[in-house]
Amino acid sequence: MNTDVFVPQIARIDAVRDETPDTKTFTLRFREPREEEAFRFLPGQFVEVSVFGYGEAPFCIASSPTRPGAIETTVRRTGRLTDAMHQLGIGAEVGIRGPFGNGFDVESARGKDLLFVAGGIGLPPLRSLIWYALDRRERFQDMTILYGARTPQDLVYKDELKEWETTAGVELHVTVDTSSSDWTGKVGAVPVLFGETTLRPESTIAYVCGPPIMIKFVVQDLFGRGFQDESVISTLERMMQCGIGKCNHCTIGHRYVCRDGPVFNFKQIRELIE
Amino acid sequence: MLSELEMERAVFTLRKRDVTEWLARLLGQGEVIAPTSGPCGEVIFSKIDSPEQVLWDFENPLSPPKQFVLPQTDPIVRIECKGKGTQVAPIHDNRRRFLFNVRPCDAKAIAFLTRMHETEPADASYLSRAAETTVISLDCNAPCTLGFCVCSDSGPFASGGSDIELTDLGEKYLVAASCAKGEAALSGMDGLFLPATDEEVAQRDDLESEAKRHFGDETCHFGSAMRRISTGRVDDALWEQMSDWCLACGGCNFICPTCYCFSVGDRGGDGTWTRCRTWDSCQYAAFTLEATGHNPRAQRRDRMKRRFFHKVSAQYFVRDGMAGCVGCGRCISVCLGATDMPAVVAAIRKRAWHEH
Repeated sequence: MNTDVFVPQIARIDAVRDETPDTKTFTLRFREPREEEAFRFLPGQFVEVSVFGYGEAPFCIASSPTRPGAIETTVRRTGRLTDAMHQLGIGAEVGIRGPFGNGFDVESARGKDLLFVAGGIGLPPLRSLIWYALDRRERFQDMTILYGARTPQDLVYKDELKEWETTAGVELHVTVDTSSSDWTGKVGAVPVLFGETTLRPESTIAYVCGPPIMIKFVVQDLFGRGFQDESVISTLERMMQCGIGKCNHCTIGHRYVCRDGPVFNFKQIRELIE
Repeated sequence: MLSELEMERAVFTLRKRDVTEWLARLLGQGEVIAPTSGPCGEVIFSKIDSPEQVLWDFENPLSPPKQFVLPQTDPIVRIECKGKGTQVAPIHDNRRRFLFNVRPCDAKAIAFLTRMHETEPADASYLSRAAETTVISLDCNAPCTLGFCVCSDSGPFASGGSDIELTDLGEKYLVAASCAKGEAALSGMDGLFLPATDEEVAQRDDLESEAKRHFGDETCHFGSAMRRISTGRVDDALWEQMSDWCLACGGCNFICPTCYCFSVGDRGGDGTWTRCRTWDSCQYAAFTLEATGHNPRAQRRDRMKRRFFHKVSAQYFVRDGMAGCVGCGRCISVCLGATDMPAVVAAIRKRAWHEH
């Protein structure tokens, strides 16, 4: 087993699923079965995926550790590397380094209500935790998922949204910023969904992932409803290269999003100085 | 009689006429990198072929010897995607090397880099190169023109980082090994090195005190700047004002012996690539540019703030055991504007930046 920190393990693309016109979910399986067995991760952790010839980029693991085997990453096409990755088909080989980052503190969430608030491509990191919680359902109280995207076609995991809608003990509300002719659901920014549900701020942990503007309004709303800083959790995004706290691209002050994060609660976020 | 400490440190003297012989023997053991006279008469660190090329009286080269432990383009992984599946393998540079006549500031900077790369998860690519590199430093009997090493405990005499410390005592050099690697480089040199006397060791200390006396008052007072930077108590207006005199060229990063920020990319084609680490600069807007187009440090003032936080904050001082500055003064000579280390530290300390 190679322990050199920059040498990736090799994985094959097992499946590719179109999520939206610019987003795909890749199922990645380690070429060496023993590497698959040794790969342990927490929801909220990420991997550095190599597209050989293009370099590496960090992607959250969108699948849950409760379902071992292949891992999934959901990738939006936004640049050279992701363009190239979108060209790859089943059987193509990529590199994986990781898992990196702290992940969600699933132990401290035991016995709590879980509120997931996601915007657009912010759902993948929460999906890992949602499936984790569904597979360990007895450890948690109510689960509420609030999800929004720009248009109906920008919603990811459409099949799973349908499944969660009918899952007992899960409350799901979806909204879009701009409707289309066949959309019968809610229209408006994510915070409109707070009107659809009743929350118990004192016993709830809120996980918020999405574009900065959405996070800003959602957390304002949450604090207005009595949530404490420690119980509002987000994942931070920064430009990253190494994933291991060396290259300094993802620093905020002396903290490293890749090592100290990417998961932070709002108390920690407020303490980050730059 | 040598004290116990000095016995431990293996302190010798070497007659100046024997230096050539020592270098010849080192050349037989590995590559020797030393300050030499470059094609246009400038001083540069380069691999020597013969002992005569080594300079002994020189201004420290603008490019530090960092490049020999952390090359600007550093191959780290070999990638082959041909025929039956992708093959990847680490690339380690195990050449035995002697960095000869580096200044104490640069030696301390290499120790800083090594400490950073040793931090878990350890970086085997860097460490394999560093492990095979012996740093032989030459004390500065007088301050250089722009240096302020006394302010960061990095000179003018060896202050950690050298495997072997050389001091010019006039007729001879004092040669002190500070670790096993240094001692190994001095062993098997029968007849060349003579045990140093107490007087010779004392002479070194006198020379150090003398050298320190020659630093001017205008050095670099890190203390109060560190307090302000660490607690976010530098006005944004001051950063803004100073950033007008930064061209964001990245020169200060590339000539800095302690800067190590990097990017990673694949070079090659046709199924064969070399994954390389390359120096990057926190002063470039693209350093923090995200794929979405969002950039948390789009403003020059925020990037300047970042550079000085990394180098001068107490948070990093605690983590790294020293400031990220060895006082070599290179940023003063390279800066096209006026945002070198002493200038910025002075501005923060005085809460005002001089008007140009």
